[in-house]
Amino acid sequence: MDTLNELIGGFAAAMTWQNLIFAFLGCLLGTIIGVLPGIGPVAGVALLIPLTMNLDATGAIIMLCAIFYGTAYGGTITSVLLNTPGEAASAITTIDGYAMTKIGKAGAALTIAAVGSFVGGTIATVGLVAAAKPLGEMGLLVGPPEFFALMVVGISLLVALAGKSMVKAVMSGALGLLISMVGIDPVAGAPRFTFGSDNLLDGVSFVAVIVGVFGLSEILSYRKDSATSVVHAPGLRSLLPNRSEWRRSAPSMARGTGIGFGLGLIPGMTGSVSSLLAYVAEKKFSKHRNELGHGAIEGVAGPETANNAHANAALIPLFTLGIPASPTIAVLMGAFLQQGLVPGPTLFTEHSEVAWAIIASLFIGNLLLLLLNVPLVGLWTSILRVPAPILTALILLFMVIGAYTINFNVFDVFVMIGFGLLGLALRYLDIPLAPMVLTLVLGPLMERSLRESLEISQGDFGVFLNRPIAAVLIGVGVLIVLSPLLKLRKPKALIEDPET
Amino acid sequence: MTTESLTAKPKQATHVAPTVLAGIAAFAAVGVYVLVSSIGLGLWTSLGPGAGLFPFAMGGVLVAMSAIWLVQELRQPSETAQGVDRSLVLAVVVSLVVLAAVLDLIGFQLSMFLFLLYHLKIRGRRNWLVSLIIAFAGSVGAFYAFNYGLNVTLPTAGISLLNSIGL
Repeated sequence: MDTLNELIGGFAAAMTWQNLIFAFLGCLLGTIIGVLPGIGPVAGVALLIPLTMNLDATGAIIMLCAIFYGTAYGGTITSVLLNTPGEAASAITTIDGYAMTKIGKAGAALTIAAVGSFVGGTIATVGLVAAAKPLGEMGLLVGPPEFFALMVVGISLLVALAGKSMVKAVMSGALGLLISMVGIDPVAGAPRFTFGSDNLLDGVSFVAVIVGVFGLSEILSYRKDSATSVVHAPGLRSLLPNRSEWRRSAPSMARGTGIGFGLGLIPGMTGSVSSLLAYVAEKKFSKHRNELGHGAIEGVAGPETANNAHANAALIPLFTLGIPASPTIAVLMGAFLQQGLVPGPTLFTEHSEVAWAIIASLFIGNLLLLLLNVPLVGLWTSILRVPAPILTALILLFMVIGAYTINFNVFDVFVMIGFGLLGLALRYLDIPLAPMVLTLVLGPLMERSLRESLEISQGDFGVFLNRPIAAVLIGVGVLIVLSPLLKLRKPKALIEDPET
Repeated sequence: MTTESLTAKPKQATHVAPTVLAGIAAFAAVGVYVLVSSIGLGLWTSLGPGAGLFPFAMGGVLVAMSAIWLVQELRQPSETAQGVDRSLVLAVVVSLVVLAAVLDLIGFQLSMFLFLLYHLKIRGRRNWLVSLIIAFAGSVGAFYAFNYGLNVTLPTAGISLLNSIGL
């Protein structure tokens, strides 16, 4: 009952008109970012962090969270109408979603996708409410060695799952850690890798790095051949699915929720994997499996429910343990840290009102998105008719403003440009960017907990093996990293590219 | 996953691409630099681990991984990725550098106006009306919107003549 009271308190805080506006703005921006192919959720959230720094912590985080799950709704629209996913997690939806558009059922597909997203997102948030207290309390028992071990597991999972080559993923992770170390060393106070520049004493701003690596490099890697085709938004009347479509979608949504929720809890799993596996599940278990690929509603309902359940479930490890499960969540974690909130078990003891207000806003945001998304589909598609040069110019405008306003210093704009080029090089070399973001955010925390652990034990590395929880976690981490040597095959779904 | 999914599936390469070799060399060089400089930061102090310990480990990881990557490439060269549009990269990067260089000098409004005009009119080949309206809204409009709406001040001109006319 305690939890319920806190949740009600959270709703009271989230329902103030300012916070409702922040949730609304976040949903709006998230949908737009989801619809636009040029900018993904990672860069989108990072770009808006500087603009929210003057807001109070609750409002800022509510808005950024709404942007984060809003992209999952928006990405669907282009998948269904245009056969091009607005973001990767909706890629698999193109198969049946676009097929439904071709047979004139675009409206039903969009509505079912939005309802599925709502169902998945809401159930996953209920999971977050249920898990918050017990996991948070367990998390309080975690000392520096356990915390370090936990991060090792998180990072090794991400490294093992990202991209095709583990070597490249490890390099990406190591690079992120090194970038996070630039600046005054937190323990001894000595400047590291600052190359004599005063601007680097506080470290490289992670917002500038992420906007560069994920946003600018995306623009730099545009190619001319990606022409946009004409889109027609379905009329309002055709938006309602018929009764058999509702009936057929229900079991798919249930399967999608289960898959998305389960995988969302695992660090390193991305929403694309969830939606892909949900599609595979439909192919196996659906009664209408032979229609899949030719415009079956199950092929939309399952994956779309899964990727939203995933997005919301991925917040559970962040809120309760302080471990970001994906690059976007890592950026969100960076936003928490900039607001002076440390995600993890202490969040519920030290800033309980903020935590519960954010959780309550997740319910509100999912409802807002359901209401916004479908009726306004005409508006969203009109964004796609904006010519590419105009979109590019406007995105560049926001990147410059975002980078400048981090510290009100032009230096961060140069940092962003530099990391844009680095991002382009990494993409060219097929090095995954995800591990880098994760270690960039976790780096300082990881180093601090390692050094604190070693100070407790007076330099004895045995501290990680003598404490049972830490020992088990380190063991798991090592196993994950060594798994290629054990000839364990990666599941096919992880290697195969959803977009090919 | 957006990032990994960009590469298409070109044919199998027969030899290691020079750009890939350059990439490996760059990673190895960064690793060696970090290894050397972190020794100077102190790996271990009487209190326990020093400032250089963590970077030292990461430098080691970079060097080791570059070596493994090189071996992998020599055994089986990876497919070459699609090239980048060099004129686009050049135009965007140079225009951004120029913008950042003059931002404090001539202020946000004027520099952003010119920047947007370049991307809309010259590179994007939009018509004058559209270009001017968007460039104006994105520069002067954004300046006032951020200043009064979000309480975020964007830079004004450092040159007093420009500053005095409100730029």
